[in-house]
Amino acid sequence: MFDLILQGAPLLFTMQTMLLIAAGIVGGLVIGVLPGLGPLMGIVLLLPVAFHLPPIPAMGMLIAVYIGGSAGGSISAILLRIPGTPLAAATLFDGYPMAQKGRSQDAIGLSITASALGGLIGGVMLVFFSPMLAAFALRFGPPEYAAMALLGLTTIIVVSEGSAIKGLLTGGLGLLIATIGTDEFTNAYRYTFGNFNLTSGPNIVAVVVGLFAISEFLFQIGGGGFLDTPRLQKLVISFRALRLIASHKVNLVRSALIGTGLGAIPGAGGDVSAFVSYAVARKFSKPEDGYGEGAEGGVVATEAANNGCCGGALIPSLSLGIPGDASTAVLLAALFLLGFFPGPELFRSNADVAGGIFLAYLTGNVILLILGIVLVPFFGTVLKLKKAWLLPIVLLLSTMGTYALQNSVFDLYVMLVFGGLGFLLRRAGYPLAPIIIGIILGPVLENNFRRSLLLSRDGPMIFVERPISATILTVVAIMLCYIVYTLVRSGRQDTAS
Amino acid sequence: MPLRSYAYDWIAWVVLLAIPLIVLWQNTTSLEEQGVAGGGPMTDAAMYPGLIAWILVVLSGVNGVRILAGRVAGPSPIRTGPTTMLAIGTVLLFVVYLLALRPLGYHLTTPVLLAVLLRAFGLSFWTALLGGVAVSLTVAAVFEGLLNVVLPVGMFSLTVFG
Repeated sequence: MFDLILQGAPLLFTMQTMLLIAAGIVGGLVIGVLPGLGPLMGIVLLLPVAFHLPPIPAMGMLIAVYIGGSAGGSISAILLRIPGTPLAAATLFDGYPMAQKGRSQDAIGLSITASALGGLIGGVMLVFFSPMLAAFALRFGPPEYAAMALLGLTTIIVVSEGSAIKGLLTGGLGLLIATIGTDEFTNAYRYTFGNFNLTSGPNIVAVVVGLFAISEFLFQIGGGGFLDTPRLQKLVISFRALRLIASHKVNLVRSALIGTGLGAIPGAGGDVSAFVSYAVARKFSKPEDGYGEGAEGGVVATEAANNGCCGGALIPSLSLGIPGDASTAVLLAALFLLGFFPGPELFRSNADVAGGIFLAYLTGNVILLILGIVLVPFFGTVLKLKKAWLLPIVLLLSTMGTYALQNSVFDLYVMLVFGGLGFLLRRAGYPLAPIIIGIILGPVLENNFRRSLLLSRDGPMIFVERPISATILTVVAIMLCYIVYTLVRSGRQDTAS
Repeated sequence: MPLRSYAYDWIAWVVLLAIPLIVLWQNTTSLEEQGVAGGGPMTDAAMYPGLIAWILVVLSGVNGVRILAGRVAGPSPIRTGPTTMLAIGTVLLFVVYLLALRPLGYHLTTPVLLAVLLRAFGLSFWTALLGGVAVSLTVAAVFEGLLNVVLPVGMFSLTVFG
């Protein structure tokens, strides 16, 4: 574990990497502050930039955006009662009442401090558990990897927003999109329709940018209010929160651990962990703490959990290649683009890169603690940015970022098509995250599925003959039964009503 | 069940059914012609996508029944509002921009796109014009200057920071 850190240190502690992590934290906070955008959007927009950088600076910057974006959403939740991201929805309960009592400075300070410290606790768990999980995964063969890919996809579908059947459909769509291009085994062209640009499949960055950035752009236009600016309380730099948080030590550690634990379950996500840890903190509180009326503990619980969740989500992502949520799926895509394959091999063959990523995550949280507090007045200004300026900038960055990857205008058409698809699916209540997870896990699933059949003498029986894959598939089967049960139950309830 | 009340659900249903059907059709045509639609796991490139496609067809069938029975989260009608035409216009403008990007280049097309968008979103003519040029040049400075990306130069071979 410490070997990894030592090997990664020289890659991390360079001026370029540190500056990019700091830039990522600021960029993430800015994008998290802006309602409607979030860490995923930040990662998506900077993904093409990362492609032009060395691996550790690139991953450091993207991870910093992930951390900053997860923390930034609380600022608009506290000041405007509009969570910048779904992750900060639970921060409303006490953050906004604190602001109403004239304590917005304390609430923002506490949220940033709890986010950074929660993230650091999540980071320690990441450093501790990832190598252990990766070492266990060395026992995996193709059947186990195929089963794990299926488990990752199923879990995300079960817990994702919207109905499970819609999640299954979009997850399946992602798996099909992943098959477009040249088949690895036969070198045949699949579903390319004779288009040379599709022989390597659709560019994943174009797909991600289209699904999330372009569809969001269209949604934001629909919302109107291009020239609106909110009225805000005056904000100044204050380190008082560092003293205040000392009286919430137990709550902070407990919430960060809940966040990390739930984050490590693919699909559970920061919003779920924030609500769960808030409920737990409230249960352990005294009536005079006044939860729901501006309790400091409420802000600490939710923010420590949703940033602890980032570290948790990186555990299965890095050690197994199974993304914990849509943001980590895009981080994995970045790792692929940079030439590294997450999983046990990353820890064995590229230990310096794995160690560098761990350190980047920990460093990002330390920088968040400092910059997050120092830049509080700046975030107030960011919140006043008019949509009329923001939307064209997002569109241009999405477009040029996608183009820059391969200097391809075709990728821009792919982006536009997926933007339209993303808009349509969101309008119809389909979750988009399973598409990305499906695209990431698709090749893992197909390659290992076909390799397993090749190894097997009994056809598909190989998946149930091996204990680890049989266990994983049993869990998948239980989840699928749960999906069917919820579908049948919701149908009966509708009929009764 | 009125079709209009669940319009987005139905459109999404058609799209999500069409995609696996296209895959199954390609399996029996293109992949068959290439000789990779049968045999063992090494030679059968159609088996796995075919399996996924069939699962999606079945799921789409179930989902269609759910929409018909009104057992979805809520209606999804196509509502037109004051910004609907703006959204459609923006998409059309962006398509024109993409078509013009390669022949005319980044530096001629992007300031125009941005200026039109900024004006459409309510900024004054001069603010939109100057803002469009400024944002376009700033983004070009990042991509051309810092990241050494060759942005589309067009028939006039225009670059500013390259």
